[in-house]
Amino acid sequence: MKDNFLRSKDIAIIAYGETKLERRSGKSPYELASQVAAELLGKTQLSPKDIDGFGTNATMSDCTNPFYSNFCADYLGLSPRWLQTSDLGGCSATGNVARASAAIMAGLCETVMLISADAPSTQMRPFYGGYRSEFFEPTGIQGPPGAFGLLMHRYMARHELKFEALGKLAVAQREGAVLNPNAYEKNRVPITVNDYLTARMVSSPLRLLDSVMYCDGSNGLIVTSTSRARKLGAKKMVHPIAYAEITNFDAANMTPDITETGFSVVGPEALQKAGMSPKDICMFHPYDDFLIAEMLQLEQIGFCARGEGSRFLLETDVSYRGTLPINTGGGQISAGQPGLAGGGLNLVEGVRQMFGEAGERQVKNTGNAIVTGIGVIPYGRNWGSSSVLILEA
Amino acid sequence: MNRPIRPKTSSIPKPSALTKPFWDAAKEKKLVIQYDPDSRCYQWWPRALSVKTGKMNLEWREVSGNGNLYSYTVTHVPALGFEDKVPYLVGLVELDEGVRIISNLSGITEDNAKIGMPLRVTWEKLTDDINLFSFAPRNAE
Repeated sequence: MKDNFLRSKDIAIIAYGETKLERRSGKSPYELASQVAAELLGKTQLSPKDIDGFGTNATMSDCTNPFYSNFCADYLGLSPRWLQTSDLGGCSATGNVARASAAIMAGLCETVMLISADAPSTQMRPFYGGYRSEFFEPTGIQGPPGAFGLLMHRYMARHELKFEALGKLAVAQREGAVLNPNAYEKNRVPITVNDYLTARMVSSPLRLLDSVMYCDGSNGLIVTSTSRARKLGAKKMVHPIAYAEITNFDAANMTPDITETGFSVVGPEALQKAGMSPKDICMFHPYDDFLIAEMLQLEQIGFCARGEGSRFLLETDVSYRGTLPINTGGGQISAGQPGLAGGGLNLVEGVRQMFGEAGERQVKNTGNAIVTGIGVIPYGRNWGSSSVLILEA
Repeated sequence: MNRPIRPKTSSIPKPSALTKPFWDAAKEKKLVIQYDPDSRCYQWWPRALSVKTGKMNLEWREVSGNGNLYSYTVTHVPALGFEDKVPYLVGLVELDEGVRIISNLSGITEDNAKIGMPLRVTWEKLTDDINLFSFAPRNAE
């Protein structure tokens, strides 16, 4: 078994913050991050000078800035001794919890502000080098929906995919968004399985309601040592107890099974590190750029066998009332995807639920949660990065 | 603000020194792929080193142009610059030489697309200098 530096619960998450998700807010990621920073400092009664570590995500909206985290620190009035921009896409937020934990345990810093922020519906500045402009874009493939359309058809060639199972998941998440005041307002109306089944086709067999929509928004956490959390008098805390991440799974294989993902490695590994099995998990907050990605995670983390995702979803109540609540705040698919800050959305929801502060959508069992990340669409493979973070009370 | 500000993009490939052999061959309607003689494997897309061995020992080899359809998607919401082509098919094509290539598909519709169907490379002239690969049903020729 690999060593688990988080085993002893020496690290604590003591606060979360989040903006409402908006379309075309006209705001910069710095403004959105400021709103979350103010919330985090207010909740913890910390001042900017108490923050000695800062981590954030590479954005879509300001990614041409090669000194982004430095600009954030300047904007927020911080003097961090540990500073990080993670460019793992949807794995950046969970990845930053692990990186911040390691930095705290190594003595580089003690009190870390982690903020995810992006505003892609206001400004999009990415330019991709490598193969993209010569061998990917000229084919007309429509980015992530195109890649997931390929993936879904391949899954269907191998396993039975019941669209009503994905529809049931879409409906459950939408119910969460209706009860989530921070969800994108236009999405706060219920949908039916039939709405999902008849939604506009985007990149077949992938439909509009399989997919996320870009919003502007920010979310974040305060992470510190458990001993400092106690000194600060933190009333609530959750501990990251296991983390595993892999990028470019099966790298040298030129003909990989594109339905087999990095979660087949990091899912079982994180559970093993935590000494848990899927049956022990109180709630699941998987990265949800597309519904099929959640089904693949259920299968490959080990909640059910390969090809059994449809059956599992149809047999399991995945709403906040259910036996395995999934993305109770609506997830990105129903609450909105704040660009590359999206990996923090379900993370913050997991912490909020464990703090018992989820209001009308509060789950009963808050002892632990799995939060995951997915980052980057690669060339003809499944996805770039996969991360699994396990939180425990 | 009505629409997000996006950088200008172009769907016409701009060859680099590394990729020039590929586009030079494409101009002659030949499909060439990098081959690693140490691992005896082809690899796609063009890189400066072998992903099998980590050595910078690669050569370009012409391949058969034959493959089969590993998966496909019918694009209804187009990529930028492809608005006039919807709906159009994009496939992941497995070449006989053991690499997969993302490509648009010609002569195939949603009704006759079938995973595993045999395909063969064809070429579409984008400019005087650039022929872009596409794949069509093999029995069509």
